[in-house]
Amino acid sequence: MIHVPFVKRTLSNGLQVIVHEDHHTPLVAVSVWYHTGSKNERPDRTGLAHLFEHLMFEGALHQPRGYFEPLQEAGALLNGSTNADRTNYWEVVPKDAARLALWMEADRMGWMSDALTEARFNTQRDVVLNERRQNYENRPYGLASFVTMAAMYPPDHPYHWPTIGHPSDLRATSLDDAKAFLARYYHPGNASLSIAGDIDTEQAFDLAAELFEEIPRGAEIERVTAPSVHARARRIVLEDRVELPRLYLAWPTPGIFEPGDADLDLVGDLIANGRTSRLYARLIHSERIATEISAQQASRELSGVFQIVATAAPGRSLAELDAAIREALTEVGAGGPTPDEVERSRAEAEAAFVFRVQTLGGSGGKADQLNAYNVYLGRPDSFAADLQRYLDTTADSLTAAARRWLDPDAALALCVVPHGRLDLGLPDSDPAQLEN
Amino acid sequence: MPLSGRSSRFTPPEAGAATPVRFPPIARGELSNGLRVWTIRHDVAPVVNVALVLTKGTADDPPDRHGLAGLTADLLDEGAAGRNAIQIAEAMSRLGTHLDVGIGADLMSIGFTSIARVFPAALELAASVVKQPHLSDDDFKRIRELRLSRLRQLRQSAAALGERTFLNAVFGSHGYGHGALGTTGSLETITLDEVRAWYERSVCPSLATLIVSGDVTHAEVMSVAARVLSSWTGRHAAARSADARDGRLPDSERAASRILLVDRPGAPQAELRIGHLGPSRRTPAYHALVTMNAALGGQFSSRINRHLREAKGWTYGARTLLDFRRDSGTFACETSVQADAAGLAVADVLNEFRAIRGPRPISAEELDRAKRSLTRGYVRLFETASNLTNAATQLATFDLPDDTFDCFVPGVESVGEADVLEAAAAFVHPERCVAVVVGDAAGFRGRFVDLGLPIEDVSPEM
Repeated sequence: MIHVPFVKRTLSNGLQVIVHEDHHTPLVAVSVWYHTGSKNERPDRTGLAHLFEHLMFEGALHQPRGYFEPLQEAGALLNGSTNADRTNYWEVVPKDAARLALWMEADRMGWMSDALTEARFNTQRDVVLNERRQNYENRPYGLASFVTMAAMYPPDHPYHWPTIGHPSDLRATSLDDAKAFLARYYHPGNASLSIAGDIDTEQAFDLAAELFEEIPRGAEIERVTAPSVHARARRIVLEDRVELPRLYLAWPTPGIFEPGDADLDLVGDLIANGRTSRLYARLIHSERIATEISAQQASRELSGVFQIVATAAPGRSLAELDAAIREALTEVGAGGPTPDEVERSRAEAEAAFVFRVQTLGGSGGKADQLNAYNVYLGRPDSFAADLQRYLDTTADSLTAAARRWLDPDAALALCVVPHGRLDLGLPDSDPAQLEN
Repeated sequence: MPLSGRSSRFTPPEAGAATPVRFPPIARGELSNGLRVWTIRHDVAPVVNVALVLTKGTADDPPDRHGLAGLTADLLDEGAAGRNAIQIAEAMSRLGTHLDVGIGADLMSIGFTSIARVFPAALELAASVVKQPHLSDDDFKRIRELRLSRLRQLRQSAAALGERTFLNAVFGSHGYGHGALGTTGSLETITLDEVRAWYERSVCPSLATLIVSGDVTHAEVMSVAARVLSSWTGRHAAARSADARDGRLPDSERAASRILLVDRPGAPQAELRIGHLGPSRRTPAYHALVTMNAALGGQFSSRINRHLREAKGWTYGARTLLDFRRDSGTFACETSVQADAAGLAVADVLNEFRAIRGPRPISAEELDRAKRSLTRGYVRLFETASNLTNAATQLATFDLPDDTFDCFVPGVESVGEADVLEAAAAFVHPERCVAVVVGDAAGFRGRFVDLGLPIEDVSPEM
C-alpha cells in the first residue's frame, strides 16, 4: 500500500501548503504549482504562459541576480515547466537551504512585477523562439503535435494552440501583456506549495507562513471551460525532414481522472506500448512492417486525447499500418484483454506506483505529485485512490472504453511524410495548415 | 539595486554548509566463475535496482564492424533459454518490470528495477539472456533491419549528425570514433557468426560485475546470484584491463582548429559541437577540471550559457561537457543556435575557451560559487537505488577506488584558483578545436569567413 503522509493547511491569503516529512536523505524538495497554463491564454497571445515561466527565473525584487545562480550555488537542482493546464516551479536542495528555496519562491510570487524589465522580456522571447526551433521546428516529426491539436480542437478551444505558442503571437506579445498575466494568475489563491523531505512539519509551516502569508490574495479566477469535441474522421498530411513516414491516429477522450481515463491508459498499453503489446507483436516482431509503435491517453483538465503513433518500415505504406491498427482496435472492442494481459497490467500498475515514490522532488517526485493531486482533485493523498482506478478496471471496462472512444472510422489521421513523398501518406489527405 | 521592498526580505537567507557524503558500503563477493557481485543496501523503498555490467563496449568493435557490440547487446533479450523476445518481456511484465539493455563506449549493461520481493525471479530471467541467448538467424535479421531503419532516421536529426561528426573528427580510427549503431555499410557486412563470436569473447563472467542496490541483503544477493549465474561460463575470458583496442588516439597536438560544416538545407538553427580530446576519468586533475567546467559551461549560471542564452538570446541553452571515458574523453561545448548567429556563437565560445586560460581567469567569487554548487548539491546524486547502482557502475567501469564519492567534496573544496587555471591551460585548447556546425550551409557559409578558420564540408557516413 502506498502511503505518503502529509499535512495540508491553507494560509489566510488562500495559499494551500502541503508538507510531507521523509528523513531518509538530507534533502528538501519545494514545488509550487500555479493553476495556470496555455489554456488561460488569449487566442492571439499564445505562448504567454510559457514565456512567463522563463521570466520567473530572471529575478524578482529582492533577488535581482536571477534564480539559477543563488540556488545552484546553494546546491539546488531547479527548473520549471508549463503545459496547457498548469505551470510548476521546483527546487531540490540540501536541507539547510530549504529556507532559501522557499524565500526565492515567495519573492517571485509576491515581488515579481518590478523586476520585469523590457530587456529581460525581449531576451527571453528570443530564447523561447529558439526553444521552439530546437525542440519542434528543427526536430524530425517535431510539428506533428501542433497539427493534431489544431485539427482536433476548434480555433477558440484552449487546447487548439501549442503551449510553446505561435511565433507571430510571441512577437506581438508585450511586456504589459506579461504584467497583466502575472497580476491575474500568479498569486497565492491560484497556487499550491508543496514541501517534502528532511524537514519538521511545524517548522515547514512556520516558514511558509513567515515568507508567503503577507502576499495579497489575488482576484478569484474564473475557470476555463470549453464545449466537448467529438471524434470525426479526417486525413491530413504534413511534409517534414524525415526519412520514414509516420502515422498518428487520434481521438478526443475523457479528461484527467474522469471515468474511462484509466481504462484508456491500459488500452494504450495493451495494444501498442512495449513488446508485450498486440501491435508490437504483430507489426514489428512478426510482420515487420513498422519500426516503432506507441499509444498514449494524454489526459488533461478539459479533455483528453488518445493517440496511436506508428512509423513505417522502409518501403511500407501508412495504409498498411492504418489497416492493422484498425483491426487491433476492432479486436479489443469485440473482446477485451485476456486473463494473462489483465494480470500483467495489474502487476505493472502496482510496481509503477511504488517506483513513483522513490524521489522527493523534481518533475514526478513526491512533492510534484502531491501538488498534482491537490490541484486536480483537491486531495494530495490520492496515490492509493489513483492506483485503485487501475486495479478496478476489468476486461469488460476496457472493451467498453475502446468501443466508446476509439472508433476506427472516426479517427483523426495525420501522416508525416518525407518532403516530396505525398504518395506515402493515406489517400485523400488534406495538406496540413501550420499557424505561424 | 532594488529601490523598494521590505528590508527583512532584502538579504537572502544563507544556504548552509555542505552536507557530508558517505557513500554506503559496498559488500563484495565473487562466484566460482569469476563474476563479481556487489551489493549496496538502500532500504528507503521496497525496490531493488540491478545492473550486470560488462567492461566491453562499442569501443571494442573490430574495425569495419562498427555496430557489432551494439547489435549483439540488442540481440541478447530477443530470445533466450527457449523464450522469444515477447515471451521474455511478458515474463518480466508479470513481475511488474522490464529488462533494460544498454551499451556505451566502455561498457554493456543488462538490468532492471523491481519490487524487492520479485528480485530473485527477475534476476533469473535477466541471467537467462546473458547465459543462454539464442542469437538466432531470424532475430539477427529482424534486429539488424530495425537498427538500419534507426540509422536512416537519424540522418534527419541535427543532434545525431553533430555528435557523429564530432566523435569521428576527434577520435579518428580509435574505438571511440564511432557510436553504437555503426554505419549502414558496416551493419550490412556483419554476419551472425561474428555476433556469436563477439558474444563468446565479451559476454563472459570474468569481465562482469553484478551490481545490486536496494532493499535486499548481500547474503540473499549472493545466494540468488549463485543459483542463477554460476552456470554462466565464458570460453574466452580476456583480462579485464588488457585492452587491445584498435586504432590509436589521434595526436591532438598537431591538429589546428577547423570548422566542419554538415549541410542541412533550410534548418532554422545550427547545431554546434565545439571541442577536442579530453582526459580519462582517472586523471589526477579530475576535481580541478569539474570545478573549472562548472564555472565555464557546466551549469545554467556558467559563463557560456549566461552569454549565449541570457545575454544574447541566441539559444535555448548552451553547456560544456567533460565526457569522461576509460582511455580518453572529450571536452566540448554543445548547443543549438539560431541560424543567423552561428558564426558569432562559434567565435564567442572559442573566446570563452581562451579567456578561462588566462586573459579572464576564474575569479575568487566564481570559484567559490562553482565549488559550492558542486559540493552542496553532491548529496542529491545518491537518493535512489538506481542512483547508487549508477555510481557503482562508474567504479566498475573505470576501476576507481571505493572512496571516490566520499573524496569528492573534500577534493573540490581543496581546489584553488591556480588549480583551475592550470587545468584550463592543460585541458582547454581553443587553438585545436573541431567546430562542427550542422545547418543550412548555403545560408551561412559566409558568416564563418571572419573567424579565419579553415572550413571543410563533411557528410558523416551513416
